[in-house]
Amino acid sequence: MITTSSKLFYGLGAGSLVGAVLWMISGNSALGTVALFFLATALLFAGAIASFVRDGHVLSTDTAAHATAAATNGSPRASLWPLGTAISVGVLVVGLISSPGIFKVGVALTLAMLGEWMIQNWSERGSADSAYNTKIRDYLVHPLELPVAGALLLAVIVLSFSRLMLALDKSAGVAVFGVAAALVLAVGTLIAFRRNVSRRIVGAMSAVVLVALASAGVATALDGERDQLTEAAAEDHFAHRGCTEEKEYSDKKASRSVGAKSNILATVILRDGQLVAEVAGYEGLQSEVYIQRTNPSTILFINETDEARRMVVSYGKVVEDLGEGVEREIALESCTSKVEKGGQQSVTVRIPQPSFASDEPFSITVPGVESARLTVVVP
Amino acid sequence: MNPNDGMNDNLNDNQRHGDSVKKTPRRRLWALAATGAGLLALAGCAKDAPQDTWQPAGPNAEQIDNLQQPVFLVAGIVGVIVFLAVGWAVFRYRDRGQGIPEQTHGKPVLEITLTVIPVLILIGVAIPTASTIFDLAKTDDTEMIVNVTGQQWWWEYDYPANGDNADRYGIDAPIVTSGQLVIPEDTKVLLRVTSRDVIHSYWIPKLNGKKDSVPGRVHPLRIEGSQPGIYAGQCTEFCGLSHAYMRMETVVLSRPDFDAWVANQLSSYTPPAAGTLAAAGESVFISQCARCHQVNGLANADGSLIVSAPEQYVVSGAAPNLTHLMTRNTFAGASWDLLNSSCRDDVWNATPEEFGARYLAGVSEPCLNQKDLREWLRNAPEKKPMYADPTKLQETDGKYRGMPALGLTEDQIDALVAYLLELK
Repeated sequence: MITTSSKLFYGLGAGSLVGAVLWMISGNSALGTVALFFLATALLFAGAIASFVRDGHVLSTDTAAHATAAATNGSPRASLWPLGTAISVGVLVVGLISSPGIFKVGVALTLAMLGEWMIQNWSERGSADSAYNTKIRDYLVHPLELPVAGALLLAVIVLSFSRLMLALDKSAGVAVFGVAAALVLAVGTLIAFRRNVSRRIVGAMSAVVLVALASAGVATALDGERDQLTEAAAEDHFAHRGCTEEKEYSDKKASRSVGAKSNILATVILRDGQLVAEVAGYEGLQSEVYIQRTNPSTILFINETDEARRMVVSYGKVVEDLGEGVEREIALESCTSKVEKGGQQSVTVRIPQPSFASDEPFSITVPGVESARLTVVVP
Repeated sequence: MNPNDGMNDNLNDNQRHGDSVKKTPRRRLWALAATGAGLLALAGCAKDAPQDTWQPAGPNAEQIDNLQQPVFLVAGIVGVIVFLAVGWAVFRYRDRGQGIPEQTHGKPVLEITLTVIPVLILIGVAIPTASTIFDLAKTDDTEMIVNVTGQQWWWEYDYPANGDNADRYGIDAPIVTSGQLVIPEDTKVLLRVTSRDVIHSYWIPKLNGKKDSVPGRVHPLRIEGSQPGIYAGQCTEFCGLSHAYMRMETVVLSRPDFDAWVANQLSSYTPPAAGTLAAAGESVFISQCARCHQVNGLANADGSLIVSAPEQYVVSGAAPNLTHLMTRNTFAGASWDLLNSSCRDDVWNATPEEFGARYLAGVSEPCLNQKDLREWLRNAPEKKPMYADPTKLQETDGKYRGMPALGLTEDQIDALVAYLLELK
């Protein structure tokens, strides 16, 4: 039986077949002939399928099937994927003009939207039952959608929190996040005790909190980090430069990380204008610290004096060749930021040369306290 | 004709000869199991077992041995009882078509008994275990300190010139060596174990338990030898391609011999006589080896000291210090002996009284293991697998893991061997 849609396939198939024969006679490349033959075969096969299933129509005489026929079901719900695809392509185009990062995001979004669109399209033709169609779509897509959505949600929360923390003053940060944690605990407890609370209400509350957090994160990101951090970055602490005495931002009760403190080569203490060292494995206080060559070693500095001080580890000099016979001598040193009374901070050093190779002895000092000096030996 | 007839004939044959057909593989299994068990038992009788944990040679290892012997005995007895009980239950109550026995729930007396007995056994084991752990962790009675640094695939030992090291043992300048850790007899030595690259583990079974060497961390390990001799060990934390070749030896010397060893290590560098093959070897060393390997006192023609810069060429940033190389018995991460087999046997099999003199004699030309040393100098990565292919160093920013093939000529190798023999 030649049905309406099969006529189209048969016609196109026959046309392709004729085209293949003509292409072959014309003596053009065999590739075109093969391609047209394949096309003709595929189209004729599709036509045969359409004939066999009678275009998927229910016969007018089959009245029993009318109630369950696909045509009697409502049309698929409106899809957001075309809109999403359009926006993604927009992002992609903007990225193409402005920045590679945005372009990559655009490509990822476009691929994701097209993928979702295709899968929804496929699932809507799964059966006449739209609930079943939704179910098979979910089976296929949820294992990917849920982790990605979860990761994105987590990223938004973490990024927003981090921007807020970097913007708030240290003491204000403690108060804000103390209150926030208490609120989370209180709301969670309330919900736990009132099991019949509407999921919509909880969902709406969570959404409001998330939007507020994200908005605050964006606002603080635009506003920038707190002054002290900006100053510290300008002072270039993190590059271990500028190990001088000048009054600069000092880290109150600094303590870089628990990991670094948990296993250190030596603890250097500034006490009564003198430096002393507690060295792992040695009994009592030491005036000399052994550091293995090229071995990353962590030294913890504790300031027990009233003034904010920093510890400097000096390990020789290198001469940099600036070209055209010009050379510059660079002191090799690593230092902590300034540490206030009672504070502590660690620094990790990796000393490339043995101490006997240097004209100047390697040392640990505190700028501004002349009497504070320890000898460093690198064998 | 029924097509299954032939099969039935076969089945009948199998059934007729069923006993012999079934017993053969079973007998083979029993024979294999007996052979395996016999070999295991015989392995326990090995005399030449330098890394035997059951032959302690120092107080720390003895303490561990005193713990592991009774624990092993208790665990063995419990294991045998459980094994026999399970075997008996399996055999006694095997399926013979009988009905399901009466099902009961709980038997408090039995359950409490079966809980209390293991608890008591574990408490009995835990008390001496905890006591031993705390004893082995003691460091306040340390008499000597040595820094032990692992890197792919060798160990470096440096003796700080401070504290008791200087006051009691005369180490007034740092000593850096590798391959063999030398310690005085009956001395509580504290090893400060760390790593420059990946995690390794330091273990001399006859002297103490193992300790991981972790980058950025300093782990203390006590070690003490009761009798002069050489005690072998090897890295026990998989650390890459040549993990199996990362060995170490601890040499225990009597106090006078140790003093002599220290004096020799602190002695200054003597350049080879001009015009000799060794002098030519020194030039080869300076041009080919000194960029990574330090020889303390080695100087350029203008008298300036040569300072190696392994951090520019090797991922770990270090290469063995070869000052006084020929006072050691091993090279290349203690993977090969510097002594040929007969001279090695003389040292390893020496009595405790003779050992010190034989060890301190070092490596002479007739005793040198020329074959392995020359092969190493000819093409090190071929002898010990290392990431040393210069075309595949993009990930490490052009730095090697291990020693590359230097492309030395045979003449250069002859000269280099002559020079290395002078490093005593």
